[in-house]
Amino acid sequence: MRKKGSNTGTLLLLAALAIVLLLLPSVLPRFYTYILSLIFVTALLAMSLNMVVGHGGLFQFHHCVFYGVGAYAFALMITKAGLPMWLSFIAAPFASALAGLMIGWLCVRLTKLYFGMLQISLGSLIWAIAFRWYSLTHGDDGIHGIPMPDLISSTSAAYYFIFLFFVLCLLVMYLIFKSPFGMALQAMRDNPDRCAAVGINVRRHQLTAIVIATFFAGVAGVLFAVLERTVFPDLLFWVLSLEVLIMCLLGGWFTFAGPAIGAGITVALRTFVGIYTEYWTLVLGVLLIFLIFFLPEGVMGFIDQRVGSLGRKKVPGSQGV
Amino acid sequence: MPSILNLDLAALGSQLFVGLSRSMILFIVCSGLSYVLGVLRVPNVAHGSLYMIGAFSAFSITKLVAGPAGFWLALVLAPFIVAVVGFVSERALFCHLYQREHLMLLLFTFALSLILGDLVKIIWGAEYKSIMSPAVFDGSISIMGASIPKYNFFLLIVGPFVAIALWLFATKTKIGKIARAAAVDREMVGAVGINVSWVFAFAFVLGCFLAGLGGALVAPTVSITLGMDHNLIIEAFLIVIIGGLGNMWGAMVGSLIFGLSQAFGVLFWPQFAIVFPYMAVVIVLVWRPKGLLKSVW
Amino acid sequence: MGRRISSPKKAMVLWMSLLVAVMSLTTMSGQAEARNIKVGIVDTYSGPPAVYGNDALNGFKLALEEINKEGVLGGKIEFTTRDEKFKVDVAMAMAKELVMRENVDVIVGTINSGASLAISEGVAKAEKIPFIVWTAKDEKITGELGHRYVFSTSENTAMGGKAGGVGLAKLPYKKYWIAGDDYSYGHAIADAAWRNLKALKPDVEKIGESWWKIGEPDLVPYFTAIRGAKPDAVIFCTGGASMTNALKALKSTGLAAEIPSWIHTAIDHAVLKPLGAEGPEGVLGTIQYLFYYPETPENKAFVDAFRKAYGNPPGFPAFNAYITAHLIAEAYRKAGKIDTEKFIDAMEGLKVKNPVGGMVEMRACDHQAVYPMYFGKTKKLPGYDFVVATDIVTLQGNEVLPTCEEIQKKRKK
Repeated sequence: MRKKGSNTGTLLLLAALAIVLLLLPSVLPRFYTYILSLIFVTALLAMSLNMVVGHGGLFQFHHCVFYGVGAYAFALMITKAGLPMWLSFIAAPFASALAGLMIGWLCVRLTKLYFGMLQISLGSLIWAIAFRWYSLTHGDDGIHGIPMPDLISSTSAAYYFIFLFFVLCLLVMYLIFKSPFGMALQAMRDNPDRCAAVGINVRRHQLTAIVIATFFAGVAGVLFAVLERTVFPDLLFWVLSLEVLIMCLLGGWFTFAGPAIGAGITVALRTFVGIYTEYWTLVLGVLLIFLIFFLPEGVMGFIDQRVGSLGRKKVPGSQGV
Repeated sequence: MPSILNLDLAALGSQLFVGLSRSMILFIVCSGLSYVLGVLRVPNVAHGSLYMIGAFSAFSITKLVAGPAGFWLALVLAPFIVAVVGFVSERALFCHLYQREHLMLLLFTFALSLILGDLVKIIWGAEYKSIMSPAVFDGSISIMGASIPKYNFFLLIVGPFVAIALWLFATKTKIGKIARAAAVDREMVGAVGINVSWVFAFAFVLGCFLAGLGGALVAPTVSITLGMDHNLIIEAFLIVIIGGLGNMWGAMVGSLIFGLSQAFGVLFWPQFAIVFPYMAVVIVLVWRPKGLLKSVW
Repeated sequence: MGRRISSPKKAMVLWMSLLVAVMSLTTMSGQAEARNIKVGIVDTYSGPPAVYGNDALNGFKLALEEINKEGVLGGKIEFTTRDEKFKVDVAMAMAKELVMRENVDVIVGTINSGASLAISEGVAKAEKIPFIVWTAKDEKITGELGHRYVFSTSENTAMGGKAGGVGLAKLPYKKYWIAGDDYSYGHAIADAAWRNLKALKPDVEKIGESWWKIGEPDLVPYFTAIRGAKPDAVIFCTGGASMTNALKALKSTGLAAEIPSWIHTAIDHAVLKPLGAEGPEGVLGTIQYLFYYPETPENKAFVDAFRKAYGNPPGFPAFNAYITAHLIAEAYRKAGKIDTEKFIDAMEGLKVKNPVGGMVEMRACDHQAVYPMYFGKTKKLPGYDFVVATDIVTLQGNEVLPTCEEIQKKRKK
């Protein structure tokens, strides 16, 4: 069981980490600042997925549709509709959430793998629209050079902007994780029949979770567009969704922070191993096998068991973290 | 809407046969995936890579043994090669994971697909390769005026053959029945003294064999390249799951739906062919949320 | 430093040596201009396009062997590669890594048009580093989305389409079906070919279109449907592995024998070689490089050197990359120092040797390389164990490129 006062310890650790991350752009070369920004965006995406997969137990196999919808909505609002960036920034995640609501509503009637397959299909239809509706989305040429305000143009400024929203979203997600809603969601993952028997509307809860998760995926998509100033149909493709799912599993999907770790490892591996060899997918595969065998709870789960700090594994009946 | 009114019965007939042969191609490739899903309860993400190894192995065999003999030999040997790859992966790594969460098994198959994909590049290189079917399959045959390439007709016959063979195996042989039982209740099977791990090994290896057979059979019709593991894989997954988890006849029905909708969709709406498989799934799952046929577990 | 120097002479020696040291250091950093030129290559070395990435890299390396014998500005040209695996986001991240971490002087690549456009806008323009596209064929790269920092040595869809249109306009076919890979390349080449054909021969008619996903392995249903519609000829808009599938299906359905077809890059060796003697005959195609034509001594030397080094004859990516390497070397020599703006100025209008003979020009108005295109028909010939192009018609570079005025108009929009 937890020691009393370790909560303060955790908070101090987090504060220290935040300070370090804030100071990094002034010491690191630009490229590492950029990669960290990319990791934050990917981590946010992975954690939003984990809300429904890890905590909700749903087979969300095509989460990246919502990521892509957010990114495209943002890009289109700025380039085609001429809306100001700040307005588009706020509005775009709602487009994702709307897509999440519509697709989620259709999928939530199904269970397990069927849920996943229907989602892949519906999501792929959206991908096909983005891919083929050339006059609107420029198909697989993509939309490039999206104008950004000078305030967040430089590598460091973009980093701070992304970091700020990453932390904000994380806070909100953590509060949801710990709230009665979050608890109920995890209970539904572990035993949906019992929850239904106690009077919880399982489907409504799951749909709400999906809408919230897809909203955050949309935020991640917008942040990606801010960072790279470009959107393209790959963002909506099922291959990316599978990769993000792998990040959650890699990091530890029963924990809160696990997916972020998984995202960090994957991006870092791809970038830094890619410098030396074109076989970086082979390296990733071998690493995954290693992790499966020696760290079955994922990286975060492993750390969690050893250190017992962030994101404790949920055990039925526990008082909470 | 183009010239559908110009189409005569012969053209429609051709399209029907072609759609059926496409369905059989899909089924042959999916059968292994469906079987593994049925027994091990895991969607094998590496199935595409195993199929790819089947095609590449068939290529190498035809390079070593020229002429039609090489082709038939490849059809027999390539599945065994893939089965060996599967066996080694299973005994060395996979079997230790059977007690774990299903998502972990999925993660393993994903990692395996990454490794196999790069291994194929290392062993065979990046150039495009091709196999020709033996000369006996050159040209088309005409059935009541509708023509279909001879090799596609061959696949149209092989498909049901594979289905029946697999069905007989799964329901009539002892080991097939044990495998089905293990899918539903592995503890019980273990309790009666059967080594469940070996049952799973057998099922996985059979799935790999079928993947290799699919690769070898399909090889003469496609270019054998890196990345061919991705081309069929999403359709294979969609078919296998909408058909009813692990249900082989469900996979057959799913394949028929996909193949025929593609063939006829291409007649009437050929500009939007990329959406056909997804539309088919949406329609099926909205109408039958639990899959077309009963799932095996 | 408390000790006094004992005599003025020693002081002078000390100061002189200090001065010499400082001067040599500064001239060394000026001499650091005589450092190696770094080229960063982002390309696809996995999946079906890998064969082209490898071919381009080989062409580049062959050229560098010759270039580095002489050296450029006192140093050599060195390179490093990154595999984007045909993904746009990976390509962007790698291009940024090459620029920000490896500090390359020039970026080169890739076969993925979306990635090329993303890098062109997001890295080349943003960071002001020259980017030379060597395999991607999207005409927007040097067309409406072109700018000072991007160049192309690849033939683009405008050129391919025009070559196809010109070649097809000479033939008597009227009813056309258009079919191809459903992505921007497929549609772009279709549009370019069709508008050129229609402009030259107004009585042609499009009776239908079919589009399949890239890499679609089973094209038989599409081809039987096309046959049922009975066009006079088909324009196929495909390439790479997808094209091999198309060629196989053309043969197996018998369509190749019944209905003539044109495919840009149909006569691409990478696609025809694996088919061996079973490749379909009578297919029309266009391409900018054939290792067996023209049979000039320069081409033969190029092919022999390439074969000796890599075992295969060169393909069109190798041709593009070889030219790219020479352009880079010549531009830096002309510029006199490793300076981006001077390099770009030097590149504009620069002419280098074409490996088959004659010269290739890097056009100043749009940064597009100008070279001839060949239009031919496949046929089995003795002496080759795969089908080759025959009845070859050569179209000069300026016959197939859009004019500078057209480009300026597009960019202004």
